[in-house]
Amino acid sequence: MKHSTAEIIREYGPFPDVDDVAGVSFDGNQVWFATGEKLNALDPESGEILRSLDVAAHAGTAFDGEHLFQIGDAVIRKINPKTGEVIAAIPAPGDGGDSGLAWAEGSLWVGQHRGRKIHQVDPETGKVLRTIESDRFVTGVTWVDGELWHGTWEDSGSDLRRIDPETGEVLERLDMPAGIGVSGLESDGRERFFCGGGNSGKVRAVRRPSSALSERGPSAKAGNPENGLSKS
Amino acid sequence: MDSLITAAAHALSAGAPLAALKWVALRDDPPALALRGIAMAQLGDLTRARELLRSAARTFGPKEPMARARCAVAEAEIALVSRDLGRSLQTLNAARTVLEASGDRRNAAHAGYLEARHLLLIGRLDEAERVLDEFDAGALPPASLVGRELVVAGIAIRRIKTELARIALERARRAAEDARIPALAAEVDQAVRAFGAPAARFVTRDVGRLLHLEEVEKLLASETLIVDACRNMVRAGKKMVPLATRPVLLALMRALAEAWPEDVARETLLKRAFRARHADESHRARLRVEIARLREAIKPLAALSATQQGFVLRPHATSGVAVLAPPVESDHGEVLALLGDGEAWSSSALALALSVSPRTVQRALEELAHDGKVEAFGRGRACRWIASSVPGFPTSLLLPATGISG
Repeated sequence: MKHSTAEIIREYGPFPDVDDVAGVSFDGNQVWFATGEKLNALDPESGEILRSLDVAAHAGTAFDGEHLFQIGDAVIRKINPKTGEVIAAIPAPGDGGDSGLAWAEGSLWVGQHRGRKIHQVDPETGKVLRTIESDRFVTGVTWVDGELWHGTWEDSGSDLRRIDPETGEVLERLDMPAGIGVSGLESDGRERFFCGGGNSGKVRAVRRPSSALSERGPSAKAGNPENGLSKS
Repeated sequence: MDSLITAAAHALSAGAPLAALKWVALRDDPPALALRGIAMAQLGDLTRARELLRSAARTFGPKEPMARARCAVAEAEIALVSRDLGRSLQTLNAARTVLEASGDRRNAAHAGYLEARHLLLIGRLDEAERVLDEFDAGALPPASLVGRELVVAGIAIRRIKTELARIALERARRAAEDARIPALAAEVDQAVRAFGAPAARFVTRDVGRLLHLEEVEKLLASETLIVDACRNMVRAGKKMVPLATRPVLLALMRALAEAWPEDVARETLLKRAFRARHADESHRARLRVEIARLREAIKPLAALSATQQGFVLRPHATSGVAVLAPPVESDHGEVLALLGDGEAWSSSALALALSVSPRTVQRALEELAHDGKVEAFGRGRACRWIASSVPGFPTSLLLPATGISG
């Protein structure tokens, strides 16, 4: 397992009226982050909040190239990012104990926080297709270049880890500095991860390790979902 | 944090405990137990709240010390509000250390504020002040900031520094406006009223009148020889002679000061100091001994001369003599003064705050209850006492819900 310290490239916020940040997502231009009763669109270059959608946003956020998915209370809602309209809703697999959310290869991937699990879920029906076990509390979840990454945040520390989607084995770990936690997680498809900072009220950009960029190592096993998105 | 926990924490921060319970009422994982505990505390069921927080702390387990510490802080705050002052100081200090080490500045500061408030309640002003300096007040949420400023004001009032108290109360008022919690604004108003109420009675041979704290401060700054029956000492300017452990000397001194510049007859002194109905030779001998002791004790401030009738006070200062007495004098003034904060106290907390035995407090409370000045409710260990004049008993739980669940 590779093990290093996370390099924080940039911090966004704290923002007015934002006490804590849950899920984050990236639609190719804007970073969406959930703050309880709102989903905010952040311009990662200027650091400004461009607009906000009023929707229950208590945990993970994902983007399938067209729609946003947002966990609020015990439900995953499918949202039109242009209008904020809720198009559909499916039950969340962790029955409200859900944390992170990612979209890849036609499925939603849902972190279950204290359950230490990641569920692959059919986005139409909410049916759980399979479950990956972790040994830490799972926060944000994201897929990038066929790699499954998730955040962990337990009492004493927080890290980003790349796991084998078949076995749950930890392949690589980036430790966050002491006192800094990762709630939501999303990659921009290139060299950055966007991380929700929980009750710090911040969003942070963390450098994706260059080794992971050049190498298509163990995670590219057969059966892994390839990253079919232009970029989410 | 997961989705429903976040939803419930948001509801609690917005002061909507019933909405929070809707999200987590059926869950028994530790973050849910903690949030249910806070919701119950906000709804006023402090007993259930403590049970829930305690079981949350237990089930968080050794791998989550920060989450446990947050539960401990919330539980200590409930104990403080219900005036159960037994163990919460140690708990708070330990929890604050854990939270500081883990970088949770907000909750560490809240724990520090509670510690200072506890120390103020039991009259340990120096320590309370030191604790206030130890944490970062900037990290406090607005609601706890109100509480902090009230502690600062409380210390200043007890130290008779009116300007500092006034500034702290003004800051408390502004913080309460920011927090937008009506109960807090009401608490600040109550503190402002208490600050404006007469703080002592001024007694000389010719006059007796009530003084506000500001006038007390002015008087204490003068060179007047003051027999301070509120703080049980004799003072003139910066010179002070504490007599707290010598009640007979204080009583003699007070009788002499009230009569000054006249003398006081031996019989009167015997009545005042020993409560003797008639004076016999053994009383007179005892009076001679006590007068000699008093003469020695107050040497830096005044002399005592014998007269035909008895004794007269001869102060070194030229600006007169006065007695400063509590605004309302009764046999158990200290107990009433503590109950005057409007909270419900256990007799053991009162004993702790007054540094006397629980039995002594119990006797005082029974007498006061007999006179209709205090009331008790609850039974056994849960028994609490309130001053009869105080309508209801407000609680000011500020429990920061954010982050409690890890």
